[in-house]
Amino acid sequence: MKLYRKEGNIVQILSFPNETVEKGDYLLVEDAEAGKALIVQVIDVQFANIPGVLEELLRSLPDGGELLQGEDFDPLEIAPHITYIQDSRLLICKIRATVENENLSPSSSWLPSRSQSTIRKLTISTLLKLAKVDGNLPIALGGTKESSLLTIDASALDGRLNIITGKKETGKSHLSKLLILNLMQYKATVVVFDLNGEYGGLGMTSDGKRNAHYNKIHVLIPSQNFKVALKQLHLHVLLNILIHALHLPGTSAREFRRIWQFLKEKDNLTLHELGEAIRNWHCNQNVRDALFSRYYALVNSGFFTDNIAEATLLEECLFKAKEEGGTIIINLRNTSPIDRQTVVEYVLGKLVELLTSWKLKAVFLLAEEAHLYLRETYWDDIVTRMRHFGIFTTFITNQPDTIRENIYRQADNIFLFNFTNEHDLEVVSRAARVDAETVKSIARDLPPHHCLALGKVVKDFPMVVKVKALDVKTMGETRLFFKDMN
Amino acid sequence: MDTTLPQRFIELSLHSLKHVQNQPLQLNQQTFQQNPIEPLNALQLKLQPIPLKPKTEETTIAAVDTSSIKIGETNKGIIIAVRGANVWKNKRNYGYLRLGPFIFHITEENLKEVYNTLQKAYFTEHNHQTSPNFMQIPMRIASLLERWLQTTLSKTINNGLILFDGSLTAGTADAPTQHMKEILGNARGRNNVVLAFSKMTTLRFNGYIVTDVLLAHKPPYLLEISNLKPKPPLILLGDVYVARLTNGNYAFRLDIDKEISIEKRVEAVEKLLGNDLFFQSYPETLRLAHILCTFTANEVIAMQHFISQKYGLKIVNRPDMHRLLFGPFGKGENRNETV
Repeated sequence: MKLYRKEGNIVQILSFPNETVEKGDYLLVEDAEAGKALIVQVIDVQFANIPGVLEELLRSLPDGGELLQGEDFDPLEIAPHITYIQDSRLLICKIRATVENENLSPSSSWLPSRSQSTIRKLTISTLLKLAKVDGNLPIALGGTKESSLLTIDASALDGRLNIITGKKETGKSHLSKLLILNLMQYKATVVVFDLNGEYGGLGMTSDGKRNAHYNKIHVLIPSQNFKVALKQLHLHVLLNILIHALHLPGTSAREFRRIWQFLKEKDNLTLHELGEAIRNWHCNQNVRDALFSRYYALVNSGFFTDNIAEATLLEECLFKAKEEGGTIIINLRNTSPIDRQTVVEYVLGKLVELLTSWKLKAVFLLAEEAHLYLRETYWDDIVTRMRHFGIFTTFITNQPDTIRENIYRQADNIFLFNFTNEHDLEVVSRAARVDAETVKSIARDLPPHHCLALGKVVKDFPMVVKVKALDVKTMGETRLFFKDMN
Repeated sequence: MDTTLPQRFIELSLHSLKHVQNQPLQLNQQTFQQNPIEPLNALQLKLQPIPLKPKTEETTIAAVDTSSIKIGETNKGIIIAVRGANVWKNKRNYGYLRLGPFIFHITEENLKEVYNTLQKAYFTEHNHQTSPNFMQIPMRIASLLERWLQTTLSKTINNGLILFDGSLTAGTADAPTQHMKEILGNARGRNNVVLAFSKMTTLRFNGYIVTDVLLAHKPPYLLEISNLKPKPPLILLGDVYVARLTNGNYAFRLDIDKEISIEKRVEAVEKLLGNDLFFQSYPETLRLAHILCTFTANEVIAMQHFISQKYGLKIVNRPDMHRLLFGPFGKGENRNETV
């Protein structure tokens, strides 16, 4: 390999056919005289612009597009050299860091010698050592191309905002499950908004047996084993549900506040009493109608109950998880969009309440396709306010444009699976922790179950990893019509 | 088939390259252009065209071409490469035999030896008098290979048409009369007709290049050139025509073996029209021969790579004096230009 040119933080390296270099690989450009080396990452592999190649290709196909049949007497065996030159490649590389005395710095302000520099592949394991991607809480993500293990530190997810994105069936949920199980091992509390009911099997092996995590996995199904009593609710949580999920107008919300205070003073906060109070309240008929329609929406959701005994599971699970680690999976699969928002409003309100009062230390929240249940104002909340309360969110989506741009800008870690759509890549490339070229070039060619890890977990050295397999029961599979016919 | 010449090519190529070990190689080169030797005389162009009708009667068509290029310079001399190709068309299919590239390191010391050894291997007792100079050597070695390839075809093809690149002018160091006669004789003996196409000509009629003379007549046709008497020792072994074989303004000088009857000559061109593809009035078989032997820039780099790898030559980029002196106006030297 030879250093060819440098422009900005991009270097071009000439590589020959006997040197196997692929997109995503790291190279070390060492200048012995300067006592420094550049760490660069290959973001694209192109054919070198060799003069005369077009003529060479045209010459081989002059017979109406078919190969010309003939015999070459090449006594000096020049043909392999021609192929060698023709197949030489140009590696487009991004400068990631400078190594000087085994210390890394992000500087790219110097230029190694073109004639004297030596270029060699830098193994991921060496890079991990150099970058000190290690720690006391290792999470093995999977294997790198060199079959070495890529291990990140769980603390790199702590207090961070993460995004897992990629097109359908590339392995996003699989990685989420891997992170959940590992976080749980370190006694973390994890809450999952499970839109498709696919996380329920985390406590079981693929053949349906209980695994070591079984007792730490708590699946809450709204209206079934997950209900809420009005008495447990704070007014602001219920108002959030009424205003944001059920779109209650401001005037009616004011009347509802009065009704709530009235019932609370009488210690009569039940669904039945709430209905009666609305019926008998002295207020405008339109306000009453508005309150009644929301009241029936709450009643019909089945999520609310007057039986306190039925309504303690969430808190119980959270406290249990606090002690020994655990995951609370809110299964939203069979919940209607409005009820879904109601449940999410309640869970987030409850989490904030428990965290503010230090009843919980911190929670890792995994939200699948959050745009389907998260109200507009929550996006900013999550990256600013909630983080300070101790809610560390990981968004999982196959529609990257549903996540706001400011979320990408502030994301600390991105786990990027394959995307071929230019628009999707454009959206993800707005992330502050990585350059657009890397995202666009590498993510496009990622095979299924391979992800490009970006951000703090890899100390800003983008790395491709094949996410390791998990022995957990797969759930939420797509129902197929032709499944049994083949 | 006598294969002494290609064997000598290999031997001398390897032998000469042994002496370049670990020398610096300068890349800048000037390409050698062939200056065809044209007989000068007041010629006559018969303005009555000979009309042609393509004859589809199945006929084998074969063509020969060679090419040479200077790859670089060493302290002691130059490194050149030579390659040749025979192409044939038989039953609608093209086939080829390509020889080379043969790479030679030519120095003042070995120039005569290399050339004479190659010449002896092929011309036996003819024409040993003219040793080429440094500038001529690539073309001369290529010519030797070209004659050998022509001989091969003249001794193997039957009832076919053999296409040469250039003219049928003999009496030069490149084309000894006796030898050219032998090639043509061999071809005739197997009922072949040799047709030589020149891409460029300096022959003029009324001040115009003969191939620029346009007639109202619809192609394909031939115009006969007569009264062409070259200066001795040059002789013409063919009769010269202007061939306009397709529509458009493309015409070529065409030399056809003198010993062939006029009817047979016309029939040969008609068979060529009926059996080969024509684009811009030029036969595809000959075009392929040219394409196959021409060196591309990529191949030049590959050969430089070969000699630097195998013989440890250090490639040095000599400053281009034209560029140095005249900046963007200095366009004298072209790197890796194909010949």
